[in-house]
Amino acid sequence: MIRAAGVAAALAALAASTANAANPAQDYALNCMGCHGTEARGIPGKVPPLANALSRFMRSPEGRNYVLRVPGAANSALSNEQLAAVLNWLAVTYDSSASATQPAPFTSTEVAAVRHQPLLSVLATRSAVVHNLATTGPSPPPRY
Amino acid sequence: MLLILAAGIASSWAAAPTPPLPAEHLTIATVGPKSPHWVYVVDYAYNNEIDSRVWLFDGDTHRRIGQIDTGFIPGINLSPDGRTTAVATTYFARGGHGTRTDVVEFNDNNTLSKTGEIVIPPKHAHTLAMLFTIGYSSDQKFVYVPYLTPAASFGVLDPARKKVLSEIDTAGCTLVYPWGPNHVSSICESGRLLTVSLDAQGKESGRTSSEPFFDVDKDPVFAQAVPLKDGYAFLSFLGEVHEIDFTQPKLAMRTPWSLVSATEKGTWRPGGVQIGAVHGSLNRLFVPMHKGGDGSHKAGGTEIWVFDLKSHQRTARWPLDTHVTGPAVAVQVSQDATPLLFLATEKSHLLILDAQTGKLKHDEPSLGQTPQLLLNP
Amino acid sequence: MKKLDRVFENSARSLAKRTSRRSLLASLGQLLTGAALMPLLPIDRTARAQEPARPSPDEQKCEYWKYCAIDGFLCACCGGTSTSCPPGTQSSPITWIGTCHNPADGRDYIVSYNDCCGKVSCGDCFCDRNEGEKPMYRLSRNNDVNWCMANSESNYHCSVSVILGVAEK
Repeated sequence: MIRAAGVAAALAALAASTANAANPAQDYALNCMGCHGTEARGIPGKVPPLANALSRFMRSPEGRNYVLRVPGAANSALSNEQLAAVLNWLAVTYDSSASATQPAPFTSTEVAAVRHQPLLSVLATRSAVVHNLATTGPSPPPRY
Repeated sequence: MLLILAAGIASSWAAAPTPPLPAEHLTIATVGPKSPHWVYVVDYAYNNEIDSRVWLFDGDTHRRIGQIDTGFIPGINLSPDGRTTAVATTYFARGGHGTRTDVVEFNDNNTLSKTGEIVIPPKHAHTLAMLFTIGYSSDQKFVYVPYLTPAASFGVLDPARKKVLSEIDTAGCTLVYPWGPNHVSSICESGRLLTVSLDAQGKESGRTSSEPFFDVDKDPVFAQAVPLKDGYAFLSFLGEVHEIDFTQPKLAMRTPWSLVSATEKGTWRPGGVQIGAVHGSLNRLFVPMHKGGDGSHKAGGTEIWVFDLKSHQRTARWPLDTHVTGPAVAVQVSQDATPLLFLATEKSHLLILDAQTGKLKHDEPSLGQTPQLLLNP
Repeated sequence: MKKLDRVFENSARSLAKRTSRRSLLASLGQLLTGAALMPLLPIDRTARAQEPARPSPDEQKCEYWKYCAIDGFLCACCGGTSTSCPPGTQSSPITWIGTCHNPADGRDYIVSYNDCCGKVSCGDCFCDRNEGEKPMYRLSRNNDVNWCMANSESNYHCSVSVILGVAEK
């Protein structure tokens, strides 16, 4: 259930992205949706969810670092600007967290600084990051 | 009178006894002594995918020696000593459906009998027929099996004790390119190779990432690399050859060279499933080539181009008559001094050529349903 | 049409409270025609049992424009259509994506190539085309792997191709 504030933010994000000619919904469909799914829920045991997860990773510096270095982000064909737009759109559109504050959106500068060092061990890193996030607020599921 | 006499003579001739056929004994044929001109022909049987199999074929007698059953979308490879064919595959409990069980089965190549299996997680990567969907360490202590769920990882197995030792997460990089006793590389979308090293228990002891050596958007490489004496060669869609030396702790990329001239580039391309084979001592690379554009990377070859691996020059160009057989989708060459070139074609023929002259020696029609991978004994 | 529709619905309602009907429609119209803003993606189009399949002759041919990156048996020849799985099979939740050009209207469309799973190979109308297709290390554009792999019944029967929306550049 998307609340009014989230709706306004989503539309604002879409409006902003039009100005930059980024199309996050299409970029998601072409590069990510095939595995992460139309509802960004992933597949239990196989594909991690982005819904109710991505925006929570974005709450901490190490969570933001993780998100930009997972293989799907680090290796994708998207430009830094496009990747930032997709992640920001996902974070806003697919989180039903009770938290009223949305995480700060990614900028293409932040993306550029980090993404070209793909993580060598994704699952181990995820586990550690989620563990730390769980102590400070809404966190992604520890397992999926 | 004459008639009766003639009839009498005739009937006595007819009655003249030939010895009856003796009773026969039912036996099991043997495989016989190994020949370098054997070839293992992998048939994925697309129309009946749960029923794939491997044919062992004699390139001199043109005879099938026997069959290995290989289940659903298998990974197949021979052990380094050639004695065993290892098969990573999937079975469903009720034939086409039901609980999925994945196994690695071991077959004795002297008898074409299954000798053992290891049950693995139901995650074996179901993909194109490649040399890299199961592999051995050089000392045969480990067997590696790529997993895809769609998350990518690989299993490390102990073939002697029939155990799964570990599962290694490969951060989105796929397949297994083994080297030496304890290194396994996987190929990544970023254009790099991830290399994992293993300890004596088959657990990860470290990993490194190479520099990127190709650009997946501009000119991707086929994941079906071509084994070399000292590493692997990755051919690109536009005909670049990226040879990589695996013998040092750090992978060394040699300067790429091209299968095609400047005028040929973009028009003549390598293509098919098994897109290259090397004769080790003659130092020749054989590639099925076709004329085509973007999106034609799976089209089989209408010609075989032959290259000298030292000079990088094309030494021969052999057009194929494909109107009955279809183009060549797989190539392999025997490793002896009078080598045979084997080609599996789109219409399921196995062609046998003299690998030094290109002369067609034999056309075996209908070897399997969709033969796409050829292994040397 | 779940999330995007709901976004739209909620915004329509809150807009309606404050604006006249005419200007509401104008605003919605603006959002709709800005195709970059309002694509048909992503939407949940997983198959639910609908009606008997009536495939057109076109969609039973490999050269059909939507099949530009398909690899497998055409479900349109197997009891389904290009947008429906045959009876008794299950669609794959994971898929590969292609962009195909429709010569009839000159547009490029984003197409989802789901597999239909849980039965043995259909065996009819095999088609393997590879426009924009990439090897399996770029999984989202690869048509070699068995996209039924994540289904509870992971045998491969046939493939469909479902338009997701117009590709914008």
